[in-house]
Amino acid sequence: MSQRPTFTISDAGMLATPRTRRDILKLIAVGGTLVLLPAALSACSEDNGVTTPPTPQPNSGAALTIDFAKGDIAVLQFAYALEQLEADFYTRVVNAFGGSNLTAADKAVLQDIKYHEVLHREFLKAALGASNDFTVIATYPGVHFNDRTSVLNTAKTFEDLGVAAYNGAAQYITSAVNLTLAGKIVSVEARHAAAIGDLLSPKTSAFAPNAFDDVFRPSKVAATAQGFIVNKLGFTNAPGTFVQGPNNNG
Amino acid sequence: MIIEARPILESIDPEILATLAARENEIAQGASTSSSTAALLALGSIPIALGALARDAYAQAPSDVLDVLQFALLLEYLEAEFYQRGVAASGLIDAADRTIFTTISGHETIHVTALRSLISAKGATPLAKPNFDFTAKGNVAGFNFAAGQYETFKVLAMAFEDTGVRAYKGQAPRLIGDAAALSAALSIHSVEARHAAEIRRLRGKKAWISGSSRDDLPAFTQGIYAGEENELQGGLMLSTLPGYSANGGSTAGTEAFDEPLSKAEVTAIITPFLA
Repeated sequence: MSQRPTFTISDAGMLATPRTRRDILKLIAVGGTLVLLPAALSACSEDNGVTTPPTPQPNSGAALTIDFAKGDIAVLQFAYALEQLEADFYTRVVNAFGGSNLTAADKAVLQDIKYHEVLHREFLKAALGASNDFTVIATYPGVHFNDRTSVLNTAKTFEDLGVAAYNGAAQYITSAVNLTLAGKIVSVEARHAAAIGDLLSPKTSAFAPNAFDDVFRPSKVAATAQGFIVNKLGFTNAPGTFVQGPNNNG
Repeated sequence: MIIEARPILESIDPEILATLAARENEIAQGASTSSSTAALLALGSIPIALGALARDAYAQAPSDVLDVLQFALLLEYLEAEFYQRGVAASGLIDAADRTIFTTISGHETIHVTALRSLISAKGATPLAKPNFDFTAKGNVAGFNFAAGQYETFKVLAMAFEDTGVRAYKGQAPRLIGDAAALSAALSIHSVEARHAAEIRRLRGKKAWISGSSRDDLPAFTQGIYAGEENELQGGLMLSTLPGYSANGGSTAGTEAFDEPLSKAEVTAIITPFLA
Protein backbone atom coordinates (compact mmCIF):
# COMPACT_ATOMS: atom_id res chain seq x y z
CA MET A 1 0.00 0.00 0.00
CA SER A 2 2.67 2.42 0.95
CA GLN A 3 4.05 2.34 -2.59
CA ARG A 4 0.79 3.60 -4.07
CA PRO A 5 0.73 7.31 -4.85
CA THR A 6 -1.69 9.67 -3.18
CA PHE A 7 -2.98 12.70 -5.04
CA THR A 8 -4.75 15.39 -3.09
CA ILE A 9 -7.26 17.72 -4.69
CA SER A 10 -7.62 20.61 -2.33
CA ASP A 11 -9.71 22.96 -4.39
CA ALA A 12 -11.78 23.09 -7.52
CA GLY A 13 -9.16 25.09 -9.36
CA MET A 14 -6.85 22.09 -9.36
CA LEU A 15 -9.49 20.13 -11.20
CA ALA A 16 -9.64 22.65 -13.98
CA THR A 17 -6.39 21.83 -15.68
CA PRO A 18 -6.07 19.01 -18.20
CA ARG A 19 -2.79 18.09 -16.59
CA THR A 20 -4.59 17.32 -13.33
CA ARG A 21 -7.21 15.23 -15.09
CA ARG A 22 -4.51 13.23 -16.86
CA ASP A 23 -2.76 12.76 -13.56
CA ILE A 24 -5.95 11.48 -11.98
CA LEU A 25 -6.53 8.98 -14.76
CA LYS A 26 -2.95 7.73 -14.52
CA LEU A 27 -3.32 7.53 -10.77
CA ILE A 28 -6.48 5.47 -10.95
CA ALA A 29 -4.85 3.21 -13.52
CA VAL A 30 -2.10 2.34 -11.04
CA GLY A 31 -4.54 1.81 -8.16
CA GLY A 32 -3.60 4.92 -6.27
CA THR A 33 -5.63 6.82 -3.72
CA LEU A 34 -7.50 9.90 -4.77
CA VAL A 35 -8.25 12.33 -1.96
CA LEU A 36 -10.92 14.85 -2.71
CA LEU A 37 -11.22 17.54 -0.10
CA PRO A 38 -14.66 19.10 0.40
CA ALA A 39 -14.02 22.21 -1.67
CA ALA A 40 -13.27 20.08 -4.70
CA LEU A 41 -16.15 17.68 -4.16
CA SER A 42 -18.75 20.40 -4.25
CA ALA A 43 -17.33 21.47 -7.60
CA CYS A 44 -18.46 18.25 -9.21
CA SER A 45 -22.17 18.93 -8.99
CA GLU A 46 -22.50 19.89 -12.66
CA ASP A 47 -21.89 17.77 -15.74
CA ASN A 48 -18.68 19.55 -16.44
CA GLY A 49 -18.43 20.93 -12.93
CA VAL A 50 -14.75 20.16 -12.89
CA THR A 51 -14.26 23.52 -14.56
CA THR A 52 -16.42 25.59 -12.24
CA PRO A 53 -16.07 26.63 -8.64
CA PRO A 54 -18.72 25.59 -6.10
CA THR A 55 -22.08 27.05 -6.96
CA PRO A 56 -24.30 27.62 -3.94
CA GLN A 57 -27.75 28.96 -4.67
CA PRO A 58 -28.13 32.71 -5.06
CA ASN A 59 -30.31 34.42 -2.46
CA SER A 60 -29.91 31.50 -0.03
CA GLY A 61 -27.65 33.02 2.59
CA ALA A 62 -27.80 35.54 5.37
CA ALA A 63 -29.38 38.93 4.80
CA LEU A 64 -27.22 41.75 3.47
CA THR A 65 -29.27 44.87 4.03
CA ILE A 66 -28.28 48.37 3.04
CA ASP A 67 -29.98 51.17 4.96
CA PHE A 68 -30.52 54.20 2.76
CA ALA A 69 -31.15 56.31 5.86
CA LYS A 70 -27.35 56.47 5.94
CA GLY A 71 -27.38 58.67 2.85
CA ASP A 72 -24.13 58.81 0.88
CA ILE A 73 -22.72 56.00 3.04
CA ALA A 74 -25.49 53.71 1.78
CA VAL A 75 -24.69 54.53 -1.83
CA LEU A 76 -21.02 53.77 -1.22
CA GLN A 77 -21.97 50.52 0.55
CA PHE A 78 -24.07 49.56 -2.44
CA ALA A 79 -21.10 50.30 -4.69
CA TYR A 80 -18.84 48.32 -2.36
CA ALA A 81 -21.16 45.31 -2.62
CA LEU A 82 -21.08 45.45 -6.43
CA GLU A 83 -17.31 45.94 -6.54
CA GLN A 84 -16.85 42.92 -4.26
CA LEU A 85 -18.82 40.87 -6.76
CA GLU A 86 -16.87 42.18 -9.75
CA ALA A 87 -13.50 41.78 -8.05
CA ASP A 88 -14.33 38.21 -7.05
CA PHE A 89 -15.48 37.38 -10.57
CA TYR A 90 -12.36 38.67 -12.31
CA THR A 91 -10.10 37.09 -9.69
CA ARG A 92 -11.67 33.74 -10.53
CA VAL A 93 -11.37 34.49 -14.25
CA VAL A 94 -7.66 35.24 -13.91
CA ASN A 95 -7.10 32.19 -11.69
CA ALA A 96 -8.70 30.03 -14.40
CA PHE A 97 -6.54 31.44 -17.24
CA GLY A 98 -4.46 28.25 -17.34
CA GLY A 99 -7.37 26.06 -18.43
CA SER A 100 -9.38 28.53 -20.47
CA ASN A 101 -9.64 29.18 -24.19
CA LEU A 102 -9.31 32.93 -23.79
CA THR A 103 -6.89 34.52 -26.24
CA ALA A 104 -3.78 36.36 -25.16
CA ALA A 105 -5.51 39.63 -26.09
CA ASP A 106 -8.54 38.71 -23.96
CA LYS A 107 -6.31 37.86 -21.02
CA ALA A 108 -4.45 41.16 -21.20
CA VAL A 109 -7.75 43.05 -20.95
CA LEU A 110 -9.19 40.81 -18.23
CA GLN A 111 -6.01 40.98 -16.16
CA ASP A 112 -6.17 44.78 -16.18
CA ILE A 113 -9.86 44.76 -15.31
CA LYS A 114 -9.18 42.39 -12.41
CA TYR A 115 -6.63 44.87 -11.04
CA HIS A 116 -9.06 47.78 -11.44
CA GLU A 117 -11.95 46.00 -9.74
CA VAL A 118 -9.84 44.78 -6.83
CA LEU A 119 -8.60 48.34 -6.34
CA HIS A 120 -12.16 49.70 -6.50
CA ARG A 121 -13.14 47.16 -3.85
CA GLU A 122 -10.19 47.93 -1.61
CA PHE A 123 -10.66 51.65 -2.05
CA LEU A 124 -14.34 51.56 -1.09
CA LYS A 125 -13.59 49.23 1.80
CA ALA A 126 -11.05 51.69 3.15
CA ALA A 127 -13.19 54.74 2.40
CA LEU A 128 -16.17 53.24 4.24
CA GLY A 129 -14.17 52.59 7.40
CA ALA A 130 -16.45 51.23 10.10
CA SER A 131 -19.29 50.95 7.59
CA ASN A 132 -17.51 48.28 5.55
CA ASP A 133 -18.30 45.29 7.77
CA PHE A 134 -20.08 43.04 5.29
CA THR A 135 -18.88 40.48 2.82
CA VAL A 136 -20.59 39.56 -0.42
CA ILE A 137 -20.52 35.84 -1.15
CA ALA A 138 -20.55 35.39 -4.90
CA THR A 139 -21.84 32.45 -6.89
CA TYR A 140 -21.92 31.88 -10.63
CA PRO A 141 -24.61 29.45 -11.70
CA GLY A 142 -24.09 28.40 -15.30
CA VAL A 143 -20.85 30.33 -15.71
CA HIS A 144 -17.95 28.32 -17.11
CA PHE A 145 -14.67 29.92 -16.23
CA ASN A 146 -12.73 27.98 -18.85
CA ASP A 147 -15.03 29.09 -21.65
CA ARG A 148 -14.33 32.35 -23.44
CA THR A 149 -17.91 33.10 -24.43
CA SER A 150 -19.26 32.38 -20.96
CA VAL A 151 -16.61 34.52 -19.27
CA LEU A 152 -16.93 37.48 -21.65
CA ASN A 153 -20.73 37.48 -21.64
CA THR A 154 -20.76 37.40 -17.84
CA ALA A 155 -18.19 40.19 -17.75
CA LYS A 156 -20.38 42.23 -20.10
CA THR A 157 -23.35 41.71 -17.78
CA PHE A 158 -21.36 42.92 -14.78
CA GLU A 159 -19.88 45.95 -16.51
CA ASP A 160 -23.13 47.16 -18.04
CA LEU A 161 -24.84 46.62 -14.70
CA GLY A 162 -22.11 48.53 -12.91
CA VAL A 163 -22.48 51.49 -15.26
CA ALA A 164 -26.27 51.57 -14.84
CA ALA A 165 -25.89 51.17 -11.06
CA TYR A 166 -23.55 54.12 -10.59
CA ASN A 167 -25.55 56.24 -13.03
CA GLY A 168 -28.75 55.49 -11.11
CA ALA A 169 -27.41 55.79 -7.58
CA ALA A 170 -25.80 59.16 -8.30
CA GLN A 171 -29.06 61.06 -7.76
CA TYR A 172 -29.03 59.94 -4.11
CA ILE A 173 -25.54 61.31 -3.45
CA THR A 174 -25.49 64.64 -1.66
CA SER A 175 -21.76 65.37 -1.45
CA ALA A 176 -19.83 66.69 -4.44
CA VAL A 177 -16.76 64.73 -3.36
CA ASN A 178 -18.68 61.46 -3.30
CA LEU A 179 -20.39 62.18 -6.61
CA THR A 180 -17.02 62.87 -8.21
CA LEU A 181 -15.63 59.63 -6.76
CA ALA A 182 -18.54 57.70 -8.24
CA GLY A 183 -17.92 59.49 -11.54
CA LYS A 184 -14.24 58.53 -11.49
CA ILE A 185 -15.18 54.87 -11.17
CA VAL A 186 -18.21 54.70 -13.46
CA SER A 187 -16.37 55.87 -16.55
CA VAL A 188 -13.75 53.18 -15.99
CA GLU A 189 -16.55 50.61 -15.73
CA ALA A 190 -17.85 51.98 -19.04
CA ARG A 191 -14.39 51.60 -20.58
CA HIS A 192 -14.41 47.99 -19.38
CA ALA A 193 -17.86 47.43 -20.86
CA ALA A 194 -16.71 48.79 -24.20
CA ALA A 195 -13.54 46.71 -24.25
CA ILE A 196 -15.47 43.53 -23.43
CA GLY A 197 -18.06 44.38 -26.08
CA ASP A 198 -15.25 44.88 -28.56
CA LEU A 199 -13.72 41.49 -27.67
CA LEU A 200 -17.09 39.78 -28.07
CA SER A 201 -18.06 41.48 -31.30
CA PRO A 202 -15.20 43.44 -32.87
CA LYS A 203 -15.87 46.46 -35.06
CA THR A 204 -19.60 46.44 -34.47
CA SER A 205 -21.64 48.79 -32.27
CA ALA A 206 -21.27 46.33 -29.35
CA PHE A 207 -18.93 48.71 -27.53
CA ALA A 208 -21.73 51.27 -27.14
CA PRO A 209 -25.12 49.89 -28.15
CA ASN A 210 -27.03 53.06 -27.20
CA ALA A 211 -26.54 56.82 -27.32
CA PHE A 212 -27.40 56.91 -23.61
CA ASP A 213 -26.32 54.40 -21.00
CA ASP A 214 -28.92 52.94 -18.69
CA VAL A 215 -29.73 54.62 -15.40
CA PHE A 216 -31.07 51.97 -13.01
CA ARG A 217 -32.60 52.41 -9.58
CA PRO A 218 -30.81 50.40 -6.85
CA SER A 219 -33.57 47.79 -6.54
CA LYS A 220 -33.38 47.03 -10.27
CA VAL A 221 -29.61 46.64 -10.05
CA ALA A 222 -29.98 44.41 -7.00
CA ALA A 223 -32.44 42.16 -8.80
CA THR A 224 -29.84 41.33 -11.46
CA ALA A 225 -26.89 41.22 -9.06
CA GLN A 226 -28.84 38.86 -6.78
CA GLY A 227 -28.48 36.15 -9.43
CA PHE A 228 -24.77 36.05 -8.55
CA ILE A 229 -24.94 36.70 -4.81
CA VAL A 230 -25.62 34.15 -2.06
CA ASN A 231 -26.50 36.76 0.58
CA LYS A 232 -30.09 37.97 0.46
CA LEU A 233 -29.74 41.54 -0.78
CA GLY A 234 -32.17 44.05 0.64
CA PHE A 235 -32.72 47.72 1.28
CA THR A 236 -34.33 49.57 4.14
CA ASN A 237 -35.48 53.17 3.91
CA ALA A 238 -35.08 52.90 0.14
CA PRO A 239 -35.70 56.24 -1.58
CA GLY A 240 -39.31 56.59 -2.63
CA THR A 241 -38.57 58.55 -5.76
CA PHE A 242 -36.38 57.77 -8.70
CA VAL A 243 -35.81 60.04 -11.66
CA GLN A 244 -35.35 58.12 -14.88
CA GLY A 245 -32.56 58.63 -17.36
CA PRO A 246 -33.14 59.13 -21.08
CA ASN A 247 -33.71 55.42 -21.72
CA ASN A 248 -36.61 55.49 -19.22
CA ASN A 249 -36.00 51.89 -18.22
CA GLY A 250 -34.56 52.11 -14.72
CA MET B 1 -38.63 85.38 -2.47
CA ILE B 2 -41.27 87.09 -4.56
CA ILE B 3 -40.20 85.92 -7.97
CA GLU B 4 -40.96 82.25 -8.25
CA ALA B 5 -38.76 80.70 -10.87
CA ARG B 6 -41.29 78.51 -12.61
CA PRO B 7 -41.62 80.13 -16.02
CA ILE B 8 -42.15 76.92 -17.95
CA LEU B 9 -44.92 75.60 -15.77
CA GLU B 10 -46.62 78.98 -15.42
CA SER B 11 -46.83 79.47 -19.16
CA ILE B 12 -48.17 76.03 -19.97
CA ASP B 13 -51.86 75.41 -20.56
CA PRO B 14 -53.41 73.81 -17.42
CA GLU B 15 -54.57 70.79 -19.39
CA ILE B 16 -51.08 70.11 -20.68
CA LEU B 17 -49.75 70.67 -17.20
CA ALA B 18 -52.06 67.96 -15.88
CA THR B 19 -50.72 65.61 -18.54
CA LEU B 20 -47.18 66.51 -17.63
CA ALA B 21 -47.88 65.89 -13.96
CA ALA B 22 -49.33 62.48 -14.80
CA ARG B 23 -46.27 61.72 -16.88
CA GLU B 24 -44.07 62.90 -14.04
CA ASN B 25 -45.64 60.21 -11.88
CA GLU B 26 -45.10 57.62 -14.56
CA ILE B 27 -41.51 58.59 -14.88
CA ALA B 28 -40.93 58.70 -11.15
CA GLN B 29 -42.51 55.30 -10.72
CA GLY B 30 -40.84 53.80 -13.75
CA ALA B 31 -44.19 52.71 -15.15
CA SER B 32 -43.90 50.22 -17.93
CA THR B 33 -44.60 51.65 -21.34
CA SER B 34 -45.34 50.17 -24.70
CA SER B 35 -42.33 49.74 -26.92
CA SER B 36 -43.45 52.52 -29.23
CA THR B 37 -44.04 54.83 -26.31
CA ALA B 38 -40.72 53.81 -24.87
CA ALA B 39 -39.06 54.64 -28.17
CA LEU B 40 -40.62 58.09 -28.16
CA LEU B 41 -39.75 58.57 -24.52
CA ALA B 42 -36.13 57.71 -25.25
CA LEU B 43 -35.77 61.24 -26.50
CA GLY B 44 -39.13 62.81 -25.88
CA SER B 45 -39.13 62.15 -22.17
CA ILE B 46 -36.21 64.40 -21.50
CA PRO B 47 -37.93 67.72 -22.10
CA ILE B 48 -41.21 66.38 -20.79
CA ALA B 49 -39.67 65.02 -17.64
CA LEU B 50 -37.70 68.18 -17.17
CA GLY B 51 -40.70 70.39 -17.79
CA ALA B 52 -42.65 68.42 -15.24
CA LEU B 53 -39.80 68.43 -12.81
CA ALA B 54 -38.81 72.03 -13.43
CA ARG B 55 -39.97 72.99 -9.94
CA ASP B 56 -37.21 70.94 -8.41
CA ALA B 57 -34.63 72.09 -10.89
CA TYR B 58 -35.43 75.74 -10.40
CA ALA B 59 -35.44 75.27 -6.67
CA GLN B 60 -31.71 74.59 -6.97
CA ALA B 61 -29.44 76.81 -9.01
CA PRO B 62 -30.96 77.02 -12.49
CA SER B 63 -28.24 79.21 -13.92
CA ASP B 64 -25.61 76.68 -12.84
CA VAL B 65 -27.47 73.76 -14.40
CA LEU B 66 -28.07 75.71 -17.61
CA ASP B 67 -24.43 76.69 -17.76
CA VAL B 68 -23.44 73.02 -17.52
CA LEU B 69 -25.88 72.01 -20.22
CA GLN B 70 -24.77 74.79 -22.58
CA PHE B 71 -21.14 73.85 -22.00
CA ALA B 72 -21.93 70.18 -22.69
CA LEU B 73 -23.74 71.25 -25.86
CA LEU B 74 -20.64 73.05 -27.08
CA LEU B 75 -18.58 69.86 -26.65
CA GLU B 76 -21.22 67.75 -28.34
CA TYR B 77 -21.40 70.18 -31.29
CA LEU B 78 -17.64 69.75 -31.68
CA GLU B 79 -17.82 65.97 -31.60
CA ALA B 80 -20.95 65.70 -33.73
CA GLU B 81 -19.55 67.86 -36.52
CA PHE B 82 -16.21 66.08 -36.38
CA TYR B 83 -17.76 62.63 -36.84
CA GLN B 84 -20.40 63.77 -39.31
CA ARG B 85 -17.68 65.21 -41.54
CA GLY B 86 -15.54 62.12 -41.03
CA VAL B 87 -18.29 59.70 -41.93
CA ALA B 88 -19.28 61.82 -44.95
CA ALA B 89 -15.73 62.09 -46.28
CA SER B 90 -14.92 59.64 -49.02
CA GLY B 91 -11.84 57.51 -48.59
CA LEU B 92 -11.08 58.71 -45.06
CA ILE B 93 -12.30 55.91 -42.78
CA ASP B 94 -11.20 52.32 -43.40
CA ALA B 95 -14.17 50.34 -44.69
CA ALA B 96 -13.76 47.78 -41.87
CA ASP B 97 -14.07 50.52 -39.24
CA ARG B 98 -17.06 52.36 -40.65
CA THR B 99 -19.60 50.85 -38.24
CA ILE B 100 -17.59 52.12 -35.29
CA PHE B 101 -17.66 55.68 -36.56
CA THR B 102 -21.23 55.72 -37.84
CA THR B 103 -22.23 54.46 -34.39
CA ILE B 104 -20.33 57.19 -32.58
CA SER B 105 -21.46 59.86 -35.04
CA GLY B 106 -25.08 58.85 -34.47
CA HIS B 107 -24.64 59.05 -30.71
CA GLU B 108 -23.07 62.50 -30.74
CA THR B 109 -25.82 63.84 -32.99
CA ILE B 110 -28.42 62.46 -30.58
CA HIS B 111 -26.56 64.05 -27.66
CA VAL B 112 -26.79 67.42 -29.39
CA THR B 113 -30.54 67.03 -29.91
CA ALA B 114 -31.07 65.88 -26.32
CA LEU B 115 -29.10 68.73 -24.79
CA ARG B 116 -30.88 71.29 -26.93
CA SER B 117 -34.20 69.85 -25.72
CA LEU B 118 -33.07 69.95 -22.10
CA ILE B 119 -32.02 73.57 -22.41
CA SER B 120 -35.22 74.58 -24.20
CA ALA B 121 -37.28 72.80 -21.53
CA LYS B 122 -35.67 75.06 -18.95
CA GLY B 123 -36.84 78.10 -20.84
CA ALA B 124 -33.44 79.00 -22.25
CA THR B 125 -32.18 79.21 -25.81
CA PRO B 126 -29.65 76.56 -26.79
CA LEU B 127 -26.26 77.89 -27.74
CA ALA B 128 -25.86 78.18 -31.52
CA LYS B 129 -23.31 75.85 -33.10
CA PRO B 130 -20.03 77.70 -33.60
CA ASN B 131 -17.68 77.11 -36.51
CA PHE B 132 -14.84 74.73 -35.81
CA ASP B 133 -11.23 74.54 -36.91
CA PHE B 134 -10.13 70.92 -36.88
CA THR B 135 -6.53 71.86 -37.54
CA ALA B 136 -6.62 73.38 -34.03
CA LYS B 137 -5.07 76.63 -35.27
CA GLY B 138 -2.43 74.73 -37.18
CA ASN B 139 -1.54 72.25 -34.44
CA VAL B 140 -2.90 69.53 -36.75
CA ALA B 141 -1.52 71.11 -39.88
CA GLY B 142 -3.39 70.39 -43.09
CA PHE B 143 -6.07 68.19 -41.60
CA ASN B 144 -9.26 68.50 -43.65
CA PHE B 145 -10.86 65.02 -43.59
CA ALA B 146 -9.03 64.08 -46.80
CA ALA B 147 -8.35 60.54 -47.94
CA GLY B 148 -5.13 59.34 -46.35
CA GLN B 149 -5.66 61.29 -43.11
CA TYR B 150 -7.30 58.42 -41.22
CA GLU B 151 -4.58 58.17 -38.57
CA THR B 152 -4.94 61.86 -37.78
CA PHE B 153 -8.71 61.50 -37.69
CA LYS B 154 -8.38 58.74 -35.08
CA VAL B 155 -5.88 60.80 -33.08
CA LEU B 156 -8.39 63.65 -32.87
CA ALA B 157 -11.20 61.23 -32.04
CA MET B 158 -9.21 59.86 -29.10
CA ALA B 159 -8.43 63.39 -27.93
CA PHE B 160 -12.07 64.50 -28.12
CA GLU B 161 -13.48 61.42 -26.37
CA ASP B 162 -10.98 61.38 -23.53
CA THR B 163 -11.72 65.10 -23.09
CA GLY B 164 -15.46 64.53 -23.10
CA VAL B 165 -15.27 61.98 -20.30
CA ARG B 166 -13.31 64.32 -18.06
CA ALA B 167 -15.47 67.33 -18.94
CA TYR B 168 -18.78 65.72 -17.98
CA LYS B 169 -17.22 64.28 -14.83
CA GLY B 170 -16.03 67.72 -13.77
CA GLN B 171 -19.46 69.26 -14.22
CA ALA B 172 -21.51 66.53 -12.52
CA PRO B 173 -21.35 68.05 -9.01
CA ARG B 174 -22.97 71.24 -10.34
CA LEU B 175 -26.03 69.13 -11.20
CA ILE B 176 -26.60 67.84 -7.66
CA GLY B 177 -30.22 68.51 -6.83
CA ASP B 178 -31.43 68.32 -10.44
CA ALA B 179 -31.78 64.57 -10.77
CA ALA B 180 -33.16 64.67 -14.31
CA ALA B 181 -30.26 66.72 -15.64
CA LEU B 182 -27.79 64.64 -13.62
CA SER B 183 -29.16 61.34 -14.92
CA ALA B 184 -29.08 62.60 -18.49
CA ALA B 185 -25.55 63.96 -18.16
CA LEU B 186 -24.24 60.78 -16.53
CA SER B 187 -25.87 58.59 -19.16
CA ILE B 188 -23.92 60.58 -21.76
CA HIS B 189 -20.72 60.67 -19.67
CA SER B 190 -20.39 56.90 -19.60
CA VAL B 191 -21.13 56.61 -23.32
CA GLU B 192 -18.29 59.04 -24.03
CA ALA B 193 -16.11 56.68 -21.99
CA ARG B 194 -17.24 53.77 -24.16
CA HIS B 195 -16.36 55.76 -27.27
CA ALA B 196 -12.98 56.65 -25.82
CA ALA B 197 -12.28 53.01 -24.99
CA GLU B 198 -13.19 51.81 -28.47
CA ILE B 199 -11.11 54.40 -30.28
CA ARG B 200 -8.15 53.80 -28.02
CA ARG B 201 -8.37 50.07 -28.73
CA LEU B 202 -8.78 50.74 -32.44
CA ARG B 203 -5.51 52.66 -32.19
CA GLY B 204 -3.82 49.72 -30.44
CA LYS B 205 -3.88 51.38 -27.01
CA LYS B 206 -5.33 50.22 -23.73
CA ALA B 207 -8.94 51.29 -23.33
CA TRP B 208 -8.00 53.08 -20.07
CA ILE B 209 -5.61 55.92 -19.33
CA SER B 210 -2.36 54.99 -17.55
CA GLY B 211 -0.84 57.80 -15.49
CA SER B 212 -0.95 61.08 -17.39
CA SER B 213 0.21 59.47 -20.63
CA ARG B 214 -1.13 60.94 -23.85
CA ASP B 215 0.42 57.94 -25.64
CA ASP B 216 1.33 59.02 -29.17
CA LEU B 217 -0.90 62.08 -29.28
CA PRO B 218 0.76 65.41 -30.16
CA ALA B 219 2.15 67.53 -27.34
CA PHE B 220 -0.54 70.18 -27.63
CA THR B 221 -3.05 67.60 -26.28
CA GLN B 222 -1.22 67.06 -22.98
CA GLY B 223 -3.83 69.05 -21.07
CA ILE B 224 -6.30 66.26 -21.84
CA TYR B 225 -4.25 63.88 -19.72
CA ALA B 226 -2.77 66.21 -17.11
CA GLY B 227 -3.81 65.13 -13.62
CA GLU B 228 -4.72 61.57 -14.62
CA GLU B 229 -1.70 60.43 -12.62
CA ASN B 230 -3.59 61.24 -9.40
CA GLU B 231 -3.45 58.51 -6.76
CA LEU B 232 -5.05 60.45 -3.91
CA GLN B 233 -8.73 59.51 -3.96
CA GLY B 234 -11.15 60.95 -1.44
CA GLY B 235 -8.23 61.81 0.82
CA LEU B 236 -6.89 58.26 0.66
CA MET B 237 -3.59 57.35 -0.98
CA LEU B 238 -4.17 54.31 -3.15
CA SER B 239 -0.67 53.07 -2.40
CA THR B 240 -1.79 52.41 1.18
CA LEU B 241 -4.42 49.90 0.03
CA PRO B 242 -3.73 46.22 0.76
CA GLY B 243 -2.38 44.42 -2.31
CA TYR B 244 -1.70 47.62 -4.24
CA SER B 245 1.55 46.54 -5.84
CA ALA B 246 0.26 43.01 -6.46
CA ASN B 247 -2.65 44.51 -8.36
CA GLY B 248 -0.79 46.66 -10.81
CA GLY B 249 0.39 49.43 -8.49
CA SER B 250 0.42 52.95 -9.84
CA THR B 251 -0.32 51.86 -13.40
CA ALA B 252 -3.54 50.08 -12.48
CA GLY B 253 -4.28 52.59 -9.74
CA THR B 254 -4.35 55.51 -12.14
CA GLU B 255 -6.21 53.49 -14.76
CA ALA B 256 -8.91 52.51 -12.26
CA PHE B 257 -9.93 56.12 -11.61
CA ASP B 258 -10.69 58.61 -14.39
CA GLU B 259 -10.13 62.20 -13.29
CA PRO B 260 -12.35 65.24 -13.79
CA LEU B 261 -11.35 68.46 -15.54
CA SER B 262 -12.62 71.89 -14.59
CA LYS B 263 -14.58 73.99 -17.07
CA ALA B 264 -11.57 76.29 -17.44
CA GLU B 265 -9.27 73.36 -18.20
CA VAL B 266 -11.66 71.95 -20.79
CA THR B 267 -12.11 75.40 -22.33
CA ALA B 268 -8.35 75.68 -22.73
CA ILE B 269 -8.27 72.30 -24.47
CA ILE B 270 -11.04 73.04 -26.96
CA THR B 271 -10.32 76.71 -27.66
CA PRO B 272 -7.87 75.90 -30.48
CA PHE B 273 -10.70 74.04 -32.22
CA LEU B 274 -12.99 77.07 -32.22
CA ALA B 275 -12.67 78.90 -35.54
